[in-house]
Amino acid sequence: MILYIGRRLLGVIGVLVAIAAVTFTIFYVLPSDPAAAACGKSCSTERLTAIRAHMGLDQPLWRQFADFVTGIFTGRTLGGGQYALHCAFPCLGYSYENSEAVWDLLMDRLPVSASLALGAAVLWLLLGLGAGVTAALRKDTLTDRVLMVGAVAAASLPVYFTSMTLIYGIVRTAGLLPYPQYVPFGDDPVHWASNLLLPWLALAVLYAAMYARQSRGSMIETMAEPYIRTARAKGLPRRTVVVKHGLRAGMTPVLTLFGMDLGGLLAGAVITESLFGLPGIGRLFYGALSTGDQPVVLGVTLLAAAFIVVANLAVDLLYAVVDPRVRY
Amino acid sequence: MTTTTTPVPAGVPAGSGPWRLARAELLRRTSVKISLGVVALFLLMAAGAPLLSALCGFTPEEFDKTAVDPYLGGRPIGPLGGVSADHWLGVEPLTGRDLFARVVHGAQVSLLIALTATAIVVVTGTAAGIAAGYFGGRVDAVLSRLMDLTMSFPSLIFMIAMLSVAKDVNRVLLMTAVIGLFGWPGIARVVRGQTLSLKRREYVDAARVSGSGPWRILTRAILPGVAGPVIAYTTLIVPGMIATEAALSYLGVGVRPPTPSWGQMIAESVAFYDTDPMYFVIPSTCLFLTVLAFTLLGDALRDVLDPRSARA
Amino acid sequence: MNKRTRTALAALAATLALGASGCSGGHRAGGGGRDGTGHPAPAEEGTVVGGTPRKGGTLTVLSNQDFAHLDPARNWVMNAMGFGTRLLYRTLVTYQAAPGVQGNHLVPDLATDLGTPSNGARTWTFHLKQGVKYEDGTPVTAQDVKYNVERSFSPDLPGGADYAARYLAGADGYQGPAQGKHLDSVKTPDDRTIVFELRKPFAEFPNATAMPTFAPVPRARDNGPQYDNRPFSSGPYKIESYARGKKLVLVRNEHWDPATDGVRKAYPDRLVMVMGLRANQIDDRMIADQGADASAVPWYALRPESAVKVLPDPAVRKRLVAESTNCTDMVQMHTGRAPFDNVKVRQAVRYALDRDAVLTTSGGPAFNDLSTAYMPAALFGGTQPDTLKVPAEGDTAKARQLLKEAGKPDGFSTGITVPSGDKGRAEAIQQSLARAGIKVTIEMVDPSAFYATIGDTRNRTDMVYTGWCPDYPSGSTFLPFVFDARYIKEKGNSGNHSLFRDDATMKRMDEIAAMTDTRQAAAAWQRLDGAILAKAPAVPVLVRRYPLVVGGNIAGAYGQTSFGGQLDYATIGLKDPAKGQG
Repeated sequence: MILYIGRRLLGVIGVLVAIAAVTFTIFYVLPSDPAAAACGKSCSTERLTAIRAHMGLDQPLWRQFADFVTGIFTGRTLGGGQYALHCAFPCLGYSYENSEAVWDLLMDRLPVSASLALGAAVLWLLLGLGAGVTAALRKDTLTDRVLMVGAVAAASLPVYFTSMTLIYGIVRTAGLLPYPQYVPFGDDPVHWASNLLLPWLALAVLYAAMYARQSRGSMIETMAEPYIRTARAKGLPRRTVVVKHGLRAGMTPVLTLFGMDLGGLLAGAVITESLFGLPGIGRLFYGALSTGDQPVVLGVTLLAAAFIVVANLAVDLLYAVVDPRVRY
Repeated sequence: MTTTTTPVPAGVPAGSGPWRLARAELLRRTSVKISLGVVALFLLMAAGAPLLSALCGFTPEEFDKTAVDPYLGGRPIGPLGGVSADHWLGVEPLTGRDLFARVVHGAQVSLLIALTATAIVVVTGTAAGIAAGYFGGRVDAVLSRLMDLTMSFPSLIFMIAMLSVAKDVNRVLLMTAVIGLFGWPGIARVVRGQTLSLKRREYVDAARVSGSGPWRILTRAILPGVAGPVIAYTTLIVPGMIATEAALSYLGVGVRPPTPSWGQMIAESVAFYDTDPMYFVIPSTCLFLTVLAFTLLGDALRDVLDPRSARA
Repeated sequence: MNKRTRTALAALAATLALGASGCSGGHRAGGGGRDGTGHPAPAEEGTVVGGTPRKGGTLTVLSNQDFAHLDPARNWVMNAMGFGTRLLYRTLVTYQAAPGVQGNHLVPDLATDLGTPSNGARTWTFHLKQGVKYEDGTPVTAQDVKYNVERSFSPDLPGGADYAARYLAGADGYQGPAQGKHLDSVKTPDDRTIVFELRKPFAEFPNATAMPTFAPVPRARDNGPQYDNRPFSSGPYKIESYARGKKLVLVRNEHWDPATDGVRKAYPDRLVMVMGLRANQIDDRMIADQGADASAVPWYALRPESAVKVLPDPAVRKRLVAESTNCTDMVQMHTGRAPFDNVKVRQAVRYALDRDAVLTTSGGPAFNDLSTAYMPAALFGGTQPDTLKVPAEGDTAKARQLLKEAGKPDGFSTGITVPSGDKGRAEAIQQSLARAGIKVTIEMVDPSAFYATIGDTRNRTDMVYTGWCPDYPSGSTFLPFVFDARYIKEKGNSGNHSLFRDDATMKRMDEIAAMTDTRQAAAAWQRLDGAILAKAPAVPVLVRRYPLVVGGNIAGAYGQTSFGGQLDYATIGLKDPAKGQG
């Protein structure tokens, strides 16, 4: 088991370095000049050269990449003289736009994206699994049909439409909730929740529908397995069978899905954040992209990849706990 | 989801081939008929876009200043976002462009990108899956690692990044390629698993023993065996592709203006959701119906063609 | 103005109480209701919304974005310069805090007067007021002003205005103070005297010293690029916290002495700027004006799509400020390249262009004025002349005729580069040129990369859509920047995007620059504007306004013409501070 985890962790680092390399190449091979963008409206050639040197853009590509990767592990010093900056571990460089450390920017925005993702995840798990399991246990009844038709329809709803309809109905017309504006949990948990409720709902509708479909299928499959039939035959109450045996095995495929979805969302839901005006990582990324702020773009990409890879690892490890059939 | 009121078509003789049976089974379902109808409608709309917009008398790029009111921030003149005899679905605010012409041409762009990207994904994914499953060993190891790596990429973030840095290229082509690039591992995994189990079947062994080359085995024995799940899976990924095109266009890295696409139309109409709801509702509804139709179709195909993984 | 819009306006006048209109093409571009021709937006300009504020309370600013730079050496965005210089740092001189044209008048700020010229306006001397202090109570010195001027040369701190580099003597190759080198052309004989030596006579130098480049930065507080996140205050407020892209909180600088400051009123106790909101939701919140939003103002201009919720509602309209940005949007054509090296082709573009359609996509006449000249109305004393009398909706027949004369009867294909926010405008241009047979491909570029893209004169498209704003109300900050061939650079080109090379124009520019009588010079710039217009290197399209709907509890709100129509933060405050707590 420990050996397995060790091997997987090495793989994670390999994947991250590969992703960093690809991102790096995309941005530095393609024609874009962050130095010119930083230089502004009236920029002389000499000044442009000086700025390029300051940003380290006069170095060859491999050198820039090597500096970047070693910087993550050891930290590095940027600039010189009075303006020298020491960028400590884990150094992802400094934003071209506002000179903040990329790591600090990411950590500053992470609570917003994490609040959004985790809150929505709770909602969609409750709604989705509830609907899915109910439908599976009442297979081929009216309840099942209504739930599943609803799920297909909800999964097909464009998130833009859901979001704007929620805002129109709940904020503009009924005035029940404020226009979403992020309030940190630590400042005021009630306002944190009330401001995030709409974005949670908008995200949860989409995912809950997918989870209802997935969990229904997987539950039906599990309930048809011989060991469940045996348990039923032994005379165990239906409730015990469903909860103790059925759910445990039936949720394994859902767990995979959940790991990937949550991993993807933690690093920012670009569209939802933009629809509701939440300053999360998705917004940070999108803003950085439009201003050519490559260190930030690179930082977000790496963070997002890290979440996905770690989530996958966590899911694989959880398998052993959840599903008695899986062993490493 | 389905009703059993439709009797088995009388034209299907007993003992016909599996594909015939599948078709009969599919056409028995109301949901399939409706989704096929919707998909066909949108495909026809996309194919006949120039003709249809000629019929209504406006090209999708043409401004109509008389249809909007400059003194009210360019609001369409007339009920329901400017619906009139000239403009069947109303007009775009600010520009007065005809919404019918735009939504019809938007269908062309959105569906073209989604379907081409799907084709890329399916062809690459199937090829990779069969290769990994059939040849095994080092090929399998390399391809599987590549699948893992591709799946670890934060794909939407990457697509946005790639589309936003590449400027002077055909946007439709680039979008198709970029969307296709991240989609193939899913189908490759399915096909790989299927191939692994087929490989050990007697008839494949028999073919091998009787001296058939790998190419012949792959095309005659393996490919038909994976075709069912692949078709079902294909239909199920189309909605995702359509949604991805919309998402990218929504984020402003999609088609070049003034070309319309559903995502681009939604992106611009979101701001008018309360002042000109029709403008917002029309492309959203098209997107919704198409995604819904493909999902229902995919569900049905999976039930019929890939009963092992079917959930109903 | 065309017939259709006049009819539409007449019909609307009754229902919307917009006032009767006698608009004619020549007066459309009036610099804001001062031309008396009944432009439908007289209430929004030159007046103060909400009366006089009372002291105290919290003013909230709702924004969809962060500042590019607040570091005074790097701040060169009109409205951000207003924010910085009104709240956080003082400059040698500044603009009067007043609505309308009054806002163009210079008044002393750190300095005791508007500067003393000598040596034929080659040397300028300023004396600093006594008792001006930083947020830690230490006095502001002349050396600190000099130090920030030097900082603006540093390659580590790009983005700022280049007036210092353009005019100071011996500044070539200077790379800022970080390596311990200093500029000899700025002298500080004592703590409260600063002397600038210029490379050529410059009668308008005091105007340049209103730029944030001429704000003080104490050397001990300078931490290079990071200074951007925490500028050290010499103004009425200091930064309590600043989470980039999320939130900026300003509190009173207790060491700021109102007796030394004739401009800033500093009514609110706190100023909270919330960033990263969705632009349309800001508009909706401001229109709804509920609860705490009554004490809020928006940062960014109202979206065109929100106009329909504002204009017909007199109660909301009363809270609308819509000052002119004073920036002229132009289609600039690459005159060094075929087919735009032919003046007939350029004139054809001018006649083909439907400026009325561009105006509508920009939100209509309430938020924009059509432009008939290059320089904005403020540089014409309030109204742009219409020397060419091109109809607002264009004249396609005339355009086709001109193309035929130019030997291009079937038109041609070309491209235009626009910042991504100008998509609608670009599509309107594309459509109208297509009617004359000119096929235009649109290249959209992110705003931040826009200047770098169009500055690459070899690889850019034939046409670009860009504006120019005078840094201060003088033709010398407009025409030479946009039409002087000596400023053309192969890469990093700015301003002269038509790459217009005309000896007669340049000769005349030098003559006007040498004039000492500013009235005479102003008239000469205006005539030169018309002369260049006839040669058609660029087509002036429109001048945008900066529409803002402020909260119901806001007082003292008006657009400051010198800061691109952004609210004047020197005098804004709350009607009832008790409502704006927290």
